[in-house]
Amino acid sequence: MPPRFGTLNTNAWSEWVSTIDGYKTEELTLKGANILELHIEIDDDPADALIPKTMHPAIPAYAIFNVVSYPDSPWGAFAVAELRVAGRTGVRPRGFVLASICNNEDAGKALASRWGYPIKQGEVKLELRHDRIVGRASLEGRPVLECELLDRDAISGGDIQYIASMHLARNKGDGKLVVVQVDPEFTFSKGERGKSRVALLDTDAFHCGSSLRLANPISASFAVADVSLPKIRYICNPDVPAMQGTTKVAA
Amino acid sequence: MKFGIFYEISVPRPWGRETEKTVYDNCLEQVALADSLGFDSVWAVEHHFLEEYSHCPAPELFLTACAMRTKKMRVGHGIVVCVPEFNHPIKIAERTAVLDILSGGRLEVGTGRSATWTELGGFRANPDETKKTWDEFVHCLPKMWTQERFSYQGRSWSMPTRTIVPKPYQKPHPPMWVAVTSPGTEIDAAERGMGSLGLTFGGFAEQEEKVKRYRKIIRNCDPVGEFINESVSTVNFLYCHEDDAEGVKVGKRLTGVFNYLAAQLLAAREAYPTKSYPSLGLLPSLRRDAAGPGDESGAPEGIAMGNPARITRELKKWEAVGVDRVNFLLNALETVPQEKVLESLRLFAKEVMPHFQGSTDTAAVAAGGR
Repeated sequence: MPPRFGTLNTNAWSEWVSTIDGYKTEELTLKGANILELHIEIDDDPADALIPKTMHPAIPAYAIFNVVSYPDSPWGAFAVAELRVAGRTGVRPRGFVLASICNNEDAGKALASRWGYPIKQGEVKLELRHDRIVGRASLEGRPVLECELLDRDAISGGDIQYIASMHLARNKGDGKLVVVQVDPEFTFSKGERGKSRVALLDTDAFHCGSSLRLANPISASFAVADVSLPKIRYICNPDVPAMQGTTKVAA
Repeated sequence: MKFGIFYEISVPRPWGRETEKTVYDNCLEQVALADSLGFDSVWAVEHHFLEEYSHCPAPELFLTACAMRTKKMRVGHGIVVCVPEFNHPIKIAERTAVLDILSGGRLEVGTGRSATWTELGGFRANPDETKKTWDEFVHCLPKMWTQERFSYQGRSWSMPTRTIVPKPYQKPHPPMWVAVTSPGTEIDAAERGMGSLGLTFGGFAEQEEKVKRYRKIIRNCDPVGEFINESVSTVNFLYCHEDDAEGVKVGKRLTGVFNYLAAQLLAAREAYPTKSYPSLGLLPSLRRDAAGPGDESGAPEGIAMGNPARITRELKKWEAVGVDRVNFLLNALETVPQEKVLESLRLFAKEVMPHFQGSTDTAAVAAGGR
């Protein structure tokens, strides 16, 4: 198939991945999540090296920044900040997660072992102001991300579309690297849109260095939603196009 | 029912020096043959930056070349983007008038607003504004075509009094259409007395509802132009072959490649949350309907692939739900060899067209032609 493919060196990247404890994960609903999401175009050519061959780059390439705060969970309140690069697996829009920073150690371990999130422990904050919504993350006290939604404007939650995530992870059972598809469901109770701005980004903290170059801001959204983290249904061989390398692991 | 052909002009990688030219040459050869076979019209999209999927950013040039190679076929913008960052309305009025003159009054003007962030973002257009600017444009165009002197003070654009020349060859002006992808746009078309240029494949039930709604509303419309263009067209794929299994097999490959390419594009709504784009545009329905489960042969319902009998049967269903014209996509990424595309057109004209009243008065003769 002619479209371009990602060129991520998965073996080199495997240094950053989590170990997933098989694919029998049960669904989990997290109520009342506050979700900040920014879309920003990035330079195409270097970004191809930030998604695995199982994916096609988006046209144009863009990055997705998420800072999400969950007020309640089996592990208590927690927040996650992550950076994804958008693409397609086959015909489906997906975001490849470069790194996730979590501020709750137990929640982070669960996200890593059950859904393959590439978790780092750190500090994450989501701040709601009248003029903006600010997401921040730091590692060992060093700020690595500050991103904002500016000029808050109410929209319907139904106008917001989130794309599913792809996590490169190592399967505990056979030790193989796999890309795990995680496609949460969202029940929206509030939606907003505004301009996106990244005030601070330490690309090394997200393992992308100079390969990720921010270009053209697209939009930012904020939502309050119940988030259902799903059963894992599909995994992909990271080094084979999704049309050939996708395995269904649950109904 | 009438039949037309519809071009996205998709060009496969690698984009060597000759690749683009070969694809354009192939399209023009198909157009010339289709004209001689009695196809009614040729339509071309306006798309920008949609790598591989569509290399057709200047449809007025392609359509001019089509007009120079044909005698009867109408030439249609499917569509011209009515967003000021893409096209100034004065330029649209002027270009379309010239094309109408050069084609001897064979122009159809489809209008629309783009559905991808790839394009909207590329021109730095605001997705919240496109429906509004489209509405302004379609109200202005007929006046620019018909009034000797024209001035306008509007929301998205304005101009002092000038004489916009030339005027179209068709009087009072060419028929106007609206691209219908988002739900409810058929109502916009009907309320303005414009043709409904369907750009999604949509199932029969969905299409029947849309057609009913359109025909009911257009009876009481307030036309933007000087006449009402009550017409419903839809788009489809075409691959016709004597052997049904071969026809379905190649047809499915064609639809599969097209849908795969379409899915790579970044829909406006996916990148930019807005009520202005309530659906993802044409992409999901393309996949849903043209890659549907199908019957025992595997041919999706309503798609013109297979042998002449099967295609006739499917097109009769479209006719029954009130569609006036079907425009066919003939290829994607040159998946089907050019000679096979031409054979498919010839067979369709010879075996399928005669079953449809009004499709052509020359089909039977022309099928034995080139």
